[in-house]
Amino acid sequence: MTLEMRGIYKSFGANDVLRDISFSVGPGEICALLGENGAGKSTLMNILGGVLPADRGTVLLDGRETVFRNPAESLSAGIAFIHQELNLVNDLSIYENMFIGRELKTRAGFLDGREMCARCSEVFRRMDVDLDPRAMVRELDASYKQIVEIARALLMEASIIIMDEPTTSLTDPEIDRVFEMMRNLKSQGVAMVFISHKLREVMAVCDRYTVLRDGSMVADGKVSETDVDELAKHMVGHEVRTQSLRKERELGEEVLRAEGLSRERSFEDVSFCVRAGEVLGFTGLLGDGRSELFQSVFGSGGKYQGQLYLEGRPVAVHDTKQAVELGIGYVPRDRKENGIIKDMDILENGSIVTWPRHVRSGLISWKQVREAFRKQAENLRIKMGSEEDLIGSLSGGNQQKVVLAKWLNAGPKVLIFDNPTQGVDVGAKEDIYDTVLELAAGGVAVIVLSSEAQEIIRLCDRAIVMYHGRVQGELPAGEMTEQEIMRLATGA
Amino acid sequence: MEKTGKNLLVKLREQWRDNPLFSTGIALLVMVIVQTAALSMNTSFDSFGSWAQNWLQNWVSLLRGNAGIGIIALGMTFVIISGGIDLSVGSVYVTVGAFIMVVLNVSGGPLAGLGGIPAILIGLIGAVLLGGLLGEGNGLLISNGRMPPFIATLGSMQILRSVTQYFMKAQRTELPEAYKSIARLEIGGQQLMPIIYWAVLAAAMYIISRKTTFGRYVFAIGSNERTTRLSGVNVRAVKRRVYALTGFLVAIAAIIQTSRIGSMDYASAGSGFEMDAIASVIVGGTSMSGGRGSIIGTVFGTLIVAVMNNLLNLIGVDPYLSAAFKGAIIIGAVLLQRKDKS
Repeated sequence: MTLEMRGIYKSFGANDVLRDISFSVGPGEICALLGENGAGKSTLMNILGGVLPADRGTVLLDGRETVFRNPAESLSAGIAFIHQELNLVNDLSIYENMFIGRELKTRAGFLDGREMCARCSEVFRRMDVDLDPRAMVRELDASYKQIVEIARALLMEASIIIMDEPTTSLTDPEIDRVFEMMRNLKSQGVAMVFISHKLREVMAVCDRYTVLRDGSMVADGKVSETDVDELAKHMVGHEVRTQSLRKERELGEEVLRAEGLSRERSFEDVSFCVRAGEVLGFTGLLGDGRSELFQSVFGSGGKYQGQLYLEGRPVAVHDTKQAVELGIGYVPRDRKENGIIKDMDILENGSIVTWPRHVRSGLISWKQVREAFRKQAENLRIKMGSEEDLIGSLSGGNQQKVVLAKWLNAGPKVLIFDNPTQGVDVGAKEDIYDTVLELAAGGVAVIVLSSEAQEIIRLCDRAIVMYHGRVQGELPAGEMTEQEIMRLATGA
Repeated sequence: MEKTGKNLLVKLREQWRDNPLFSTGIALLVMVIVQTAALSMNTSFDSFGSWAQNWLQNWVSLLRGNAGIGIIALGMTFVIISGGIDLSVGSVYVTVGAFIMVVLNVSGGPLAGLGGIPAILIGLIGAVLLGGLLGEGNGLLISNGRMPPFIATLGSMQILRSVTQYFMKAQRTELPEAYKSIARLEIGGQQLMPIIYWAVLAAAMYIISRKTTFGRYVFAIGSNERTTRLSGVNVRAVKRRVYALTGFLVAIAAIIQTSRIGSMDYASAGSGFEMDAIASVIVGGTSMSGGRGSIIGTVFGTLIVAVMNNLLNLIGVDPYLSAAFKGAIIIGAVLLQRKDKS
């Protein structure tokens, strides 16, 4: 089926979110829809998905004009939408998830598990994946969950699949698995829209691209005729750096040293040290234990064996409060789960760590808190309305900056970043990188955990690659390449 | 002129939708107007003076009668905002009450020899300590014992009431006169002390909820416990303090009540208090799932339930039906507060 959108306009009040957008995708084609957060990608796809009506413009399916009044109409026309946050119920099996809301029944009115499983297996065969429809979704890793979502779309006989940042929570080999799947479906004539920030992935899997910026279409064309730098430039509207950001610096004293850290089933015998002004990277694949390791270092991961030294003195960290008092900070992964407090405003989210420091005769001095936060907000270029707005009113990148702000004000000696640019657009990513490097230049020992090899290479002075909870190797700045990191991360 | 009127209307509607305090406040206002009307019909219109006297008298006794629940509901607000629940408040109440009765018994209690003020001081300090400790016990089970608050406090609710009743089988007590004046001291011919305690505690809790790290941590934990812990907050300690604070407030309610009434019926005292307190909190707009709520809302909520009971009384509704109205108020309030998410 060929989809074409022509001259789409949409505004919310006085705010034009889409201006004259045209977009198309045909059978056996993967088309990338690119743009920073707030560029209008979601609005455009919501119009296609029947969630929002367009103010002007037409949607053509196989040349016939179509209007979707609600998501069900769009779905029955063969358009399936796979959202960034997966819509699967962990405690049900794969087939139950795939048929949820459309269960097959026997003549007696009971669920027909056998028939449902058979249909699932058929789809899996077509997709060439080996999955047991009766397996519980909880047991699947993130990439297979994504694949189940795609399978569900196929089961509903979708001929156009829209995927919103499908690779955000996946590791590199998992991403490859999903891409292989997409290529397979492409050869079977399925049309796909791939929404992503990750330009390398777009280069790897897409045929065509459309770039939106501030509600306008700024570029489109064939992927084979462009490169990452050009795409990035279209997205942000100016040149983007992809080369290493590292500068040779004089490193200070050793700040944090770990000797033989172990925790059962998580990490084993990990030793490392990081000096003032250094950016130390930790990378690896899913299950490498780096997140668990640093949660323990920060006092939130339960008991561990081994010894930590802070500025040469042995310390034991039992809880997060103590970690903060010692001068250890931690910017967690999964912003929604671990980073933000959704019922609190921007100011409170950006200052919770330092409240105890602004207590005067028992009461928090909100005036002081506000002054301190404003300084950081300016520094980090946080785009916000009022500080009293809820944190949810901000875009992903700005939320992440608010999370950063609360740690910057704490003035830690060691700051640990766990996947700091997850779900963040290109512009905000660069701002966060700048902040990391500024911190290091200011004498903070910085530890960056990331599954993106590029991020490690661009930022870090030294990288430690982990594999199954152990240190597999250490790479100095000159020797970091994607190939070398991958070789160590896969245990080779 | 027309335009400003329209703007005002739009603003009011926005407030109604977005500000739970505004809608509860309006609901309270409406109830008070209806209550005033009902009261006026019951009194003869001899003079405005006697009408006002009557109105005031009704309010004083209404506030005094609900001060106990009002104070307990203040603690319950923190518990619910933190994402928990405390079912044991009624049992802590009867336990602390029994403690006071035993300690202060003029005729043969352990402190009878001391007589007078020192005995009362010891009794009071012991009572609030006991309340705080029982609350801390709940808190320990919930934070360090990782038990769901519902289960932990359901257990302590049963244990405390049963043990208290066992020990207090046939106890007759006489309280010292000075103790009774804690609640009965008259100001301008009225026993206003319980109302004053309630007002002072509500003001203190309001400040705690807005301006102290502890108060803000309670909100943060209720909204996202993981993030709060990862921001360097000792979540367990905060949770323990929430339940200890509630136990402390329950003890104060028990002191006021024993001092006001001078006796306690161990079989029924405090039973149903947990539900009344939870109802006040919920009607006041605090979210059952934690993270959102307010002390002022809870004061409003307590008053709405109280005014409704008073109103039913005034218009002569059968007391058996009053619980049905209370239930309807709870459901109605939550329906009103539900945000439109179409």
